[in-house]
Amino acid sequence: MIETDIAVIGGSAAGLTAAITARRHYPGKKIVLIRREQQVLIPCGIPYIYGTVGSPDKNLIPDAILEKNRVDLLIGEAAGIDREKKVIRVGSDDVSYDRLILATGSKPAMPPIPGFELDGVYAVVKDVDYLAGLQDRLKTARKVTIIGGGFIGIEFADEINKLDGKDVTVVEIAPHCLSLAYDEEFCVEMENHLKNRGINILTSSKVDRIEGNGKVEKVVLSDGKAIDADLVVLGIGAVANNELARQANLRIGLTGGVEVDRTMKTSDDSIFCCGDCAEKISFFGGKPSPLKLASIATLEARIAGANLYGLNRENAGTIGVWSTSVGELAVATAGLTEEMARVLGYAVVTATAEGPNRHPGGMPGAKPHRVKLVFERTTGILLGGQVMGGESTGEFSNIISACILSKMTANDIAMFQVGTHPALTASPVAYHLVNAAEAAIGQMKQGQ
Amino acid sequence: MAKILIIDDDLDFSEPLKIVLSAKGYSVDLATTPEEGIGKIETLRPDLVVLDVMMPDGYEGFEVARHIRETLKLEKLPVVIMTNIHRIRKVPYRFAPDKDYLPVDVFIDKPVDSDTLVDTVERLLGEKREEPKTPL
Repeated sequence: MIETDIAVIGGSAAGLTAAITARRHYPGKKIVLIRREQQVLIPCGIPYIYGTVGSPDKNLIPDAILEKNRVDLLIGEAAGIDREKKVIRVGSDDVSYDRLILATGSKPAMPPIPGFELDGVYAVVKDVDYLAGLQDRLKTARKVTIIGGGFIGIEFADEINKLDGKDVTVVEIAPHCLSLAYDEEFCVEMENHLKNRGINILTSSKVDRIEGNGKVEKVVLSDGKAIDADLVVLGIGAVANNELARQANLRIGLTGGVEVDRTMKTSDDSIFCCGDCAEKISFFGGKPSPLKLASIATLEARIAGANLYGLNRENAGTIGVWSTSVGELAVATAGLTEEMARVLGYAVVTATAEGPNRHPGGMPGAKPHRVKLVFERTTGILLGGQVMGGESTGEFSNIISACILSKMTANDIAMFQVGTHPALTASPVAYHLVNAAEAAIGQMKQGQ
Repeated sequence: MAKILIIDDDLDFSEPLKIVLSAKGYSVDLATTPEEGIGKIETLRPDLVVLDVMMPDGYEGFEVARHIRETLKLEKLPVVIMTNIHRIRKVPYRFAPDKDYLPVDVFIDKPVDSDTLVDTVERLLGEKREEPKTPL
């Protein structure tokens, strides 16, 4: 019997962060992290294995951080949890716990498209050997079809397109790629950017079947169009790994995640859950949210790890903060798009500010930036924001997320006290966030 | 009394399920083939359908789910799909509800205990499908 105070099952972003957080908050406790993988991939880095970093081995979370935080590592498959005895079965070992954190992650979703079992059809599986197999396959593949034009899809498409001799096509069922994160004007610009880089984009296109004699030969769309393909990658989402929780009779939510309260506690007071395996609620209205992102996982882990022996943190709900970069063009988003806000029933005011991110615009490194903010009309509270431009877009969306979390209004943002510098930021006269907020206030006043 | 239709070729599974759900006050009908199931959906107009994936010839449960939404246009009929496909095929991915490719409300792995199933049915019928229409 391995005796411990705090056991964490899962070693990716959520499990690792939960263990480190538990160490920070409970320095005297014995903590063990149980995971089945010998090596843990950086989830968001997976697409970049293929055209940038070069191999799965170069996209790993180092284990040194566990040692540094005095977290014991046990590699093995957690086969079951005896909640009454507070014992986890891991291979031939039993691990006792006082508090348990489940961070078992997710698996990629596979649509039951006829032909999904053909050789050459890959999902984005977080497994070093599987992804190395995909890399081997890419050495001989010429025609690659990516099913799904979300973040994973376009990142895979661009990375594979960087390899010599590839003909890459993205098939997206919605009218635009990235449409779950951006309003149309942002999506169109990114699609054009991808096309200019030589990637074929087919939107409003549903895959009817994948055909081939044993291995992939073509992808057939519902309108009858056939795309020659010798490799298919599916990137259409992920599903909670809830098997262990189900076996332990923990309550499971409607989207398949382990049900948790705002403190990340499950239906068992001694068991917490965080990351892709946990059920989520939206910040906007509180209904179930299917979003699964490493950044959400680590937030939940910081809540779970801190709350083990006394509640002091609560989850306000999932805001949804994403960013991506293709070549020189980066896009980032936080919260609701204009379209989503309207679908949910909000009356909205939107405003966009554009201009260089340096001043004057001739400064080295200057790039055009566009910021769109979405406000609730009657209160002026910020609901979301989208940013397009250079590298700083990622941090812009993080600022927008902080504003959303704090329920800041357009007036609060217009009153920002910002620091600006010619080589680092937009000018104080044309600071994007402030100007977009001011423009929105103008519209609100006109509407009064 | 809400009407539930179970479409499953395995009567050893569906008959005990019928007993459990009937005891909870539901009116439960069984169908053992996709054709019979689709026929009963049209004639009985159930309030919720429980579907099995591994029908005799492969993945016909998936086809039935699409037929319910695309042909019968019953977009608000709650559908629970149950399967042992992940246990049998050992694939490194999972099937899951998808509004375009697998238009069901809940995907449950067999074996499923009766409490979980009853809970799922009650939540689907009680909540009147109030899950989000957008990812946020």
